[in-house]
Amino acid sequence: MKRFAVTLILLIPALALAQGDGGRRQSGPVPTGPAPRATNGHPDLTSYWRDDGNANPHGNLGKDYPGFKLPFTPAGEAAHKYNLEHTIDPESLCLPGGLPREDIGDMGFQLIQSGADTIFIYQYGTFRDVPTDGRKHAEDPDPTYFGEEIGTWDGDTLVIDSTAFKDSKTWADENADPHSDALHTVERWTRPDAGHLHLELTVEDPKFYKEPIHYQRTWIAATAQHTREQACSENNIDVSAGHLGFGPGPIRADGTRGYDNPDPLPPPPTKANPAKTILPANYH
Amino acid sequence: MKLRLALSAFFLVSTVFAQDGGGLTASEPTGPSKPTPRTADGHPDLGGFWKGDRKTKPVGNIGKDLPGFKLPLTPAGQAALQFNLTKTIDPESLCIPGGIPRHNASGLPFMVLQTPKYVAFLYFYTYYRLIPVDGRKHSDDPDPSFFGEEIGRWEGDTLVIDSIAFKDEKVWIDENANPHSDKLHVVERWSRPDADHIHVETLIEDPKFYTKPFTYQRTWVAGPSGQVLGEYACSENNIDKDHLGPGPGDILPDGTRGYADIDPLPPPIKPATPPKH
Repeated sequence: MKRFAVTLILLIPALALAQGDGGRRQSGPVPTGPAPRATNGHPDLTSYWRDDGNANPHGNLGKDYPGFKLPFTPAGEAAHKYNLEHTIDPESLCLPGGLPREDIGDMGFQLIQSGADTIFIYQYGTFRDVPTDGRKHAEDPDPTYFGEEIGTWDGDTLVIDSTAFKDSKTWADENADPHSDALHTVERWTRPDAGHLHLELTVEDPKFYKEPIHYQRTWIAATAQHTREQACSENNIDVSAGHLGFGPGPIRADGTRGYDNPDPLPPPPTKANPAKTILPANYH
Repeated sequence: MKLRLALSAFFLVSTVFAQDGGGLTASEPTGPSKPTPRTADGHPDLGGFWKGDRKTKPVGNIGKDLPGFKLPLTPAGQAALQFNLTKTIDPESLCIPGGIPRHNASGLPFMVLQTPKYVAFLYFYTYYRLIPVDGRKHSDDPDPSFFGEEIGRWEGDTLVIDSIAFKDEKVWIDENANPHSDKLHVVERWSRPDADHIHVETLIEDPKFYTKPFTYQRTWVAGPSGQVLGEYACSENNIDKDHLGPGPGDILPDGTRGYADIDPLPPPIKPATPPKH
């Protein structure tokens, strides 16, 4: 049986980069000067934001830890093993990446701030909607992939406090690190100048991690880009044919993940030996 | 046996929406009309949480404004409609974007956010479209998509969205499974006549499937402030996916659709122990 690791990097380039969307060369000049401000006086975080290339290893919540070792509890250790061996990457099944995973991935995203609403639009057509209107957390919010997100302004910092997360079919990052339903994330977003967006993220999850995890990174404004339509469930034949294996592939020493020794590719198709496309029996 | 199950938009999201404390439609506001809000650049601000006004009937039918709801189908369009009715599963129930103009005919609310260079429409099922309003033109050879290549511009106080380059497979132009081809061209003219209303005039051209252009117009009412779209993970436990039949159910004389003569529900199950309060 073939195990097939679908990473973000593998899936996206043909779709997004070909449209000139994820490629840094097409991202336009980095704006300079002070951060723009919204009419209500707060910094305006609106832009398309691309990875600055420094959040390495990409896709790893433990990037700033020695040896990238997260402070797992025994239950967290067991949950990570379970994710590696028994769960398919939720994003490859067209489920939302959720938090904190979307903060850790290296795909760019669109941020739109308007009045009391802040919208983060991600690749795969997923978005989250953060109200920043003075409301508090509900008493018993329903669990979701992004959690119940409440925004507040702390001076020039947009603080997003999120609770009430789902605890099944979720990965906290691309390495299949786990989170439980006790997850609590606090994001502190700043735009130090027009060209940069910075995140200080705190991840608390006392069920799976012995101490709060700190993660920080910076994105660069890409004025010529915007997110595009992506119909994740369209022709997702790797799912309907059951081709996906569990986990993200082996975690490498450098903190990334994937299969290093895939079978060699077949020779390129020729007229005498054309490529064959086999659609699964239940393909509509 | 294959279960035929008509998944209407209402059916799917009612549980999601009940949590937000707001209905799917809104009542006409009372009292004097409030002026249209404007953005710093002087344009009307179309931003808000917009709900259907209950007067829009039949919902989900792009032929709503035509006599007898009869669309001017070409023979090819007629054949495409028959194909959709008998051979295609509702794309939205397979978690594929409804696209335009289907979303404009939908019974579900939506959200608009407007910035100087982009207008974002956010829909149920976590679909969105992002319309650049920055003077650009259509590209030479845009890739087909469910929402098409959408270009916005302001004509006075009207936001005009011109869309081309649509997919022509696995698409329904509305909830009645009416078809469109890759020749579809949609021009939407959005205005906000006062604070509580948003209005669209939609021109639909598709010479392959329709003998002439036709229009669809509609008004939505502003929802209560602070309402947001909840997360909707369409692909999560979509267990009906493999049990769905083709088409939207019978098209009913009132222009809606669905299976009218379903088996009666079984009597409710008596709980073994009464719930304690």
